Amino acid sequence: MAALLVTYRDKTGNHMNVTATDFNLNGSGAVTQEPETLNKIPGNRAVWVGIFAELTEFALFFLVYFIAKAHYPEQFNQGPLKLNTLAGMLNTFALISSSYFVAKALAAIRIDQPDQSIKWLWRAVFCGGIYLVIKVWEYHWNVDQGIETNTNEFYTMYYYMTFNHLLHVGWASGSLLWAIHQLKVGRYTQKNHLGFTAIACYWHMVDLAWVIIFPLLYVLR
Amino acid sequence: MINQNKTFTALDISWLLLMIITTANAFVAETAEPSLAITALICGSIAYKGRRIMDYFMELNHANSTIQFFMRSYLHVFPALIFLSDLFSEELAMLTSL
Repeated sequence: MAALLVTYRDKTGNHMNVTATDFNLNGSGAVTQEPETLNKIPGNRAVWVGIFAELTEFALFFLVYFIAKAHYPEQFNQGPLKLNTLAGMLNTFALISSSYFVAKALAAIRIDQPDQSIKWLWRAVFCGGIYLVIKVWEYHWNVDQGIETNTNEFYTMYYYMTFNHLLHVGWASGSLLWAIHQLKVGRYTQKNHLGFTAIACYWHMVDLAWVIIFPLLYVLR
Repeated sequence: MINQNKTFTALDISWLLLMIITTANAFVAETAEPSLAITALICGSIAYKGRRIMDYFMELNHANSTIQFFMRSYLHVFPALIFLSDLFSEELAMLTSL
């Protein structure tokens, strides 16, 4: 496996050497060497601290869900039947598609196509917007059906989990807009897109959380 | 040198598979009666979707082994917990009663 030696100055001004090993792109077998692949950490350490913190938060929600379901089996059996599965499914489509577009945008900047990367990112932001619109519509629809936060324990869990996730989609969409801005002004380039990779990882994490939330609330009974 | 066609194909296939599995999940939600087999099937689909996103969108399949371990564990442990909490729901209720 080839290795790339990178030299940088630490805080005290000393020259430090680090090695970047080959990194496979999108699992396809294509290999590249990039600054952000030092120690094979996609993005940077900071974003991974954030990602694991967020996943811990969602993990607590899931544990509370398991316990609540064990105590109120009838509510958790009937609850999903009254939810709008189509809205849940369309939201999943929107998030998966946006993740796909973000991955495409990252692939485009790696081959030095910033304009193409921006186009893919706008598509991802559009999907994020679609998600938010569907979710707001779904909440209104729920209220019309008499489903509110205090209807029963299942719906309390539903609102708590989905609203929390909605907030994550909201600010992660903001980070995508930031990435578009950085691409436009030329701060993210083929050689330097560390922040972009970090933003992409965070966006995929939001998608991963929904991959668990959707079946928990809409499918499983 | 990046093999653009191959990269895009892997992404495209992943996207298509994820959409198909999501549609199948929604179909199950609308039609199937609850059972442990259905729960196991859905848990399997969660783990598979998670793995697909991590490997192909997040590019973790050759990333740092610690990150890989924790991320993969998360998307395997929680589907397993979903199944176990269904299987042992009465015991879980007893354990968590005040």
